Amino acid sequence: MEKGYRAVTVADIVRRAGIARNTFYENFSSKEDCFLAASEFAVKEALRRVVDAASKVDTWPARVNAGLSAFLHYVASEPALARTCIVEALSAGPAAVERYERSIQAFVPLFRMGRKVSPHGEELPGTLEETIIGGVFWIIYQRIIMGQTEQIEELLPELVEFSLTPYLGAEAAKRAAAEQPQTTSG
Amino acid sequence: MLETETRTSASSERAQLIEALIEIAADRGYMDTSIEMVVAHAGLDRSAFDRHFRGKYDGFLSAWQEMNEECMHSVMRAYDSEQYWPDRLRAVAVEVVGSLCNDPSRAGFAVEVLAAGDAARARRDMTMRVIASLIDAGRKEMDDPESVPHTTAEALAGSAYGQVYAKVVRGDTDELPKLIPQLMSAAVMPYLGVEAALEELDRGSKMPDRYRRPVAASPADTPVENGEEYPPELARLPPGRHGLPREFVAHNQRERLIAGLAEAIAENGYAGTTIAHITRHAAVSRRTFYEHFASKDECFVAAYDTVMAELRERVGQAFEEEEDWAHAVKAGIGAMLAFLAAEPNLARLCMVEALVAGPVVVERYDSAIQSFVPYFQTGREGRSPEVLARLSATTEEALVGGMMSLISRRIIAGKTDQLESLLPDLVEFTLTPYLGSDEAAKVARDS
Repeated sequence: MEKGYRAVTVADIVRRAGIARNTFYENFSSKEDCFLAASEFAVKEALRRVVDAASKVDTWPARVNAGLSAFLHYVASEPALARTCIVEALSAGPAAVERYERSIQAFVPLFRMGRKVSPHGEELPGTLEETIIGGVFWIIYQRIIMGQTEQIEELLPELVEFSLTPYLGAEAAKRAAAEQPQTTSG
Repeated sequence: MLETETRTSASSERAQLIEALIEIAADRGYMDTSIEMVVAHAGLDRSAFDRHFRGKYDGFLSAWQEMNEECMHSVMRAYDSEQYWPDRLRAVAVEVVGSLCNDPSRAGFAVEVLAAGDAARARRDMTMRVIASLIDAGRKEMDDPESVPHTTAEALAGSAYGQVYAKVVRGDTDELPKLIPQLMSAAVMPYLGVEAALEELDRGSKMPDRYRRPVAASPADTPVENGEEYPPELARLPPGRHGLPREFVAHNQRERLIAGLAEAIAENGYAGTTIAHITRHAAVSRRTFYEHFASKDECFVAAYDTVMAELRERVGQAFEEEEDWAHAVKAGIGAMLAFLAAEPNLARLCMVEALVAGPVVVERYDSAIQSFVPYFQTGREGRSPEVLARLSATTEEALVGGMMSLISRRIIAGKTDQLESLLPDLVEFTLTPYLGSDEAAKVARDS
């Protein structure tokens, strides 16, 4: 996907994959279909890694820290998939938007747990989690666009602080963000 | 007098075409919109379109550019209409949501135009950076303004965009007003704390008292200022659209092909350019093309190298002609800006399209940046230890990169003809690390 979704043709895909055109059409009905399958795969894989990393630690702030760390590591190590899912999602038509929203929704429950530790719990805005996840996606998108995929992992403390502040308040969020994530899996 | 009338009718013709293009594209999308449909809808003919735009891609980008500029004007007006920062943001949110609700074809166009490629997306991202800076102003309300990371505002702006974009794509624009309290609450929280955020939720979709924009009023009430359709800077006829100056294009076929490529790219973008486009502009046969290049990519690389070689030569010459280093840098930057301003197609090719044309060219872009680094490195000679301590190993690269990025933003914004006005800012920006800001400003301003 180094060319961007719009410019990629089915011919490009089969050449790159080293398969016959027929094989492509046995598996996918169109370029759009293939793109959606690729992003579905990427989201599942990202979610699996995040949940895996988060389950290894106890407190919720530490889970957010570990989960985000695993997520950024995944994005940095799979730039092509990240590009497919994050960069192209906001410019590749209605089906991609559907997918973009579904990926955001997939991560919502992990953040919603933060409401239990917040004194304001259910009073917080209903779309808060979507805002946080969408914000993290956007920052990653901007870094990919600027060719800084390799530096994405450096964003961890800022993004952890951004994600935790609404639930814990600024002070506690900053402290939690300053800690090293307690897992190295990713 | 006659001249003024011609100008006015030219600008209204352009506005009519843009209006028609927006309506059709909102309905049909980028791929299925043709110039014929646009001119028919505007009640004009093809030659009118050709007078104002160089093909469909250019028409789309121009319409998108104007829409973004209009949006920025109204956003800044909304922001300035209030005193208190959350009210200011709220006025901006109400303004944006209001205009999306009131003008479904502009909302639709804002989605469809992204299919025109990376340049359209880059323009959108610039607008989002402005919005992010308005959110970031919230730090001024804090006791410790540096306590919030700078990515926070960027994240909030981008995430708001994602939520609004999704509703527009699904045709749920009537649900947008409900997003206002949610987005406001999330935006205020990092800066003013949770209490203020909950207050924003309680205010619902209500406007600040002073700023009232009717959400979902009749589409007819578009503001008309001073009886002009657009402020003068938007009504300008695109300058320098007369093809390539022939001084650059020798008679030989290879150079004609390169010039043809530059023209075709200005018209269609890199992704949309075909070999047929190139050969038509170059007025050579397809066979001739393949005698010189194996593919479009190869032709692009050749074009890029040719342009950069020319640019480097002019910069080098200008630099050599000055004795004093600071003035030599100024002369070099001046020569670069003059060349780019005089060659809008080549400027676009090497500063904008090169970044989207694929990995081969991006590598070359990096090495082009490197090739300008030594000019700045000379500036380290004879500096005091304090100054040298301030410079890092990558200072020069960052200076060249920053300069390129400023230039390319101007080009994307359709202001290639005004590039030379950047000179004082660029000189000050690049000399400051070596000379300090006072001395750098002095060199930048003296003529």
